Amino acid sequence: MATLTELSTLDVLEAEAVHVIRECAAECERPVLLFSGGKDSIVLTHLAVKAFAPAGLPFPLLHVDTGHNFDEVVAYRDAMVARLEERLIVASVEESIAQGRVQDETGPRASRNRLQTTTLLDAIAEHRLTACFGGARRDEERSRAKERFFSHRDAFGQWDPRNQRAEPWSLYNARLKPGEHLRVFPLSNWTEVDIWAYVEREGLELPSIYFAHEREVFERDGMLLAVHPAVERYPHEKPFTETVRFRTVGDATCTGAIRSSAADPREVLAETRASDVSERGASRADDRTSEAAMEDRKRDGYF
Amino acid sequence: MQSTAPLLRVVAVGSVDDGKSTLIGRLLHDTGHLTRDQLEAVEEASLRRGRKGIDLALLTDGLRAEREQGITIDAAYRSFDANGRRILLADAPGHEQYTRNMVTAAAGSDVAILLVDAVHGITAQTRRHLALCALLGLREIIACVNKIDLVGYDEQRFREIEVGLVEVGAGVGCHHVTVVPISALEGANVVAPAETIPWYAGPTVLDLLHEIDPPMADDAFTMPVQWVVRHDLDGADLRGLSGRIESGAIAVGDDVVALPSGVMSRVARIDVLGTDTDLAAAPLSVTVHLEDDVDVARGDTLVGVDSAPPLSSRVEATVAWLDETPLVPGARMEFRQGTRYVPVIVDSLEARLDLGTLRHEPASALEVNDIGVVSLHTAAPVVAEAYSSNRARGAAILVDSATNRTVGVVILTGTAAAVA
Repeated sequence: MATLTELSTLDVLEAEAVHVIRECAAECERPVLLFSGGKDSIVLTHLAVKAFAPAGLPFPLLHVDTGHNFDEVVAYRDAMVARLEERLIVASVEESIAQGRVQDETGPRASRNRLQTTTLLDAIAEHRLTACFGGARRDEERSRAKERFFSHRDAFGQWDPRNQRAEPWSLYNARLKPGEHLRVFPLSNWTEVDIWAYVEREGLELPSIYFAHEREVFERDGMLLAVHPAVERYPHEKPFTETVRFRTVGDATCTGAIRSSAADPREVLAETRASDVSERGASRADDRTSEAAMEDRKRDGYF
Repeated sequence: MQSTAPLLRVVAVGSVDDGKSTLIGRLLHDTGHLTRDQLEAVEEASLRRGRKGIDLALLTDGLRAEREQGITIDAAYRSFDANGRRILLADAPGHEQYTRNMVTAAAGSDVAILLVDAVHGITAQTRRHLALCALLGLREIIACVNKIDLVGYDEQRFREIEVGLVEVGAGVGCHHVTVVPISALEGANVVAPAETIPWYAGPTVLDLLHEIDPPMADDAFTMPVQWVVRHDLDGADLRGLSGRIESGAIAVGDDVVALPSGVMSRVARIDVLGTDTDLAAAPLSVTVHLEDDVDVARGDTLVGVDSAPPLSSRVEATVAWLDETPLVPGARMEFRQGTRYVPVIVDSLEARLDLGTLRHEPASALEVNDIGVVSLHTAAPVVAEAYSSNRARGAAILVDSATNRTVGVVILTGTAAAVA
């Protein structure tokens, strides 16, 4: 039996995240955990499981499926849900397109990143969800650095960054009017390094594309994009084979790979600590459109 | 033995234009926490705004409106590591109109970095922020006299401000004010000692963030129950009480009482997220199993039998009012303490704190950003321990049940006599 030992930063961050997860589950009628198959949402799911063990999760997972996923990620998702015996709701961007709710972009720059917002808000309305747990971290991007743990969204799914609810101590206010919902971010104070350190400490399995592998890629705007059926290439963009891994996992159309030989969490952790490029700078084309790209998408109801 | 906290929560406060965002940018930059692409983005943004050189403030002013106006509207949170200790830094807005966001960022912080402009010296906002820090129980203040380059690195000017700060600090109840001359723009005394300030041999801002030991955590065990986890084990229906230990520690065999019901039992088992342990302390999230099958649920708070606080439905409190609709006597709201909501009526408004003079004055209402002393009447007894003796027990918020907004930050000061 263990006794009191010196706490690490990870212990404190873990306790904080579990506190937030339990608060939301207790205060909100119909929460859901946004699961993308990315490392942050995998860590979040693991924390949620720990928060309620030995009972199961008191809420389902929700995957907003762009239809442009990496196959390895969808396979990981299905295996994980089966292992945990938890509920999974899949909200499909393809269906939103088929129903005429959104219009698919075309051409080499086409991305379904922005379309996800409509699919997500439709799923929130359909399932009458009152809270969505997200794996966003404040260190990712400067508009995220402004966000509360419990972030209020109006009936249109909008975030009003100039008028956020006060959140003194950890007395979170989860009160809602009909149609409104919350986005809840238990990992707010974690960094990318913390995520990898926690993955290593807890022995979490991640989709294989997070580790070095050989892949057909091509170069665009200084980033390596995967050769993928969903990504149209300009004639000058010639594919080549490279040993890469992904730092973030999102839609194949806007997630860049980096050259790396890191084969396990320990090696990735060492590489992350030494990196002089931020996670988003290295791998997210969607944030490069303007200085306030993320803030604008967040205001509209993006994750 | 109390170990050094692995994580220090720090809030940066001060008037608008005193250079908080620049200082934070400087701390991140000089400790090597900025990546190449982040620096390039800031350089580009600086050029676009016609600045000479890199404007590090653009790093933390994350909202479009903030960058356009060059001010901070809401707190931004950044973290970095200093000698194995994680510093979680909140950049609080300096504008008086956003005082409520400053209060949010400061509540729960261990240490404040207070910025003072060497040219302007101590302002009303400096006094206000020191008073708010004292009210919120931040006992350690790192006061930075910034823009020392603009006064020709003049020691005399620094000493004047230093004396004033210590005096104001003592007046409002901040007794640990360490004053450092800095230039956030030049990086002087932020991370590295400044050659330009030979008359100062004290610690830099980063040194202080390494060294400061946050005030000892309040030692009385307090755990608001968040969730009751039920499961079958060999046919027995087991109930565990899940929550975060907000103060103190708990051991197997300890006698505990659930408030407000007063139900007593003894700790049979402590589960820290899957690991059984004899002893657990704040700030861990745990599941506690009691020896008796007693009726305890979310909303209750577990405390040690020996350190149980008084309960009362009439409490005195200092309130920081956050809402545009003023607080008036007779107002009905909800009082949230721990995991429990209780309806509350404001019995009386005793005084309003004039943040200019730091004197209490009679008032008929509290406007947004005002601080006042009130008597509250709750629909059921609540924990009536002073915030100054235990932060976790003496903190609460007021929620408007019509708008659902968090309208007040409550610092309990004690029990109140019933109003005739």
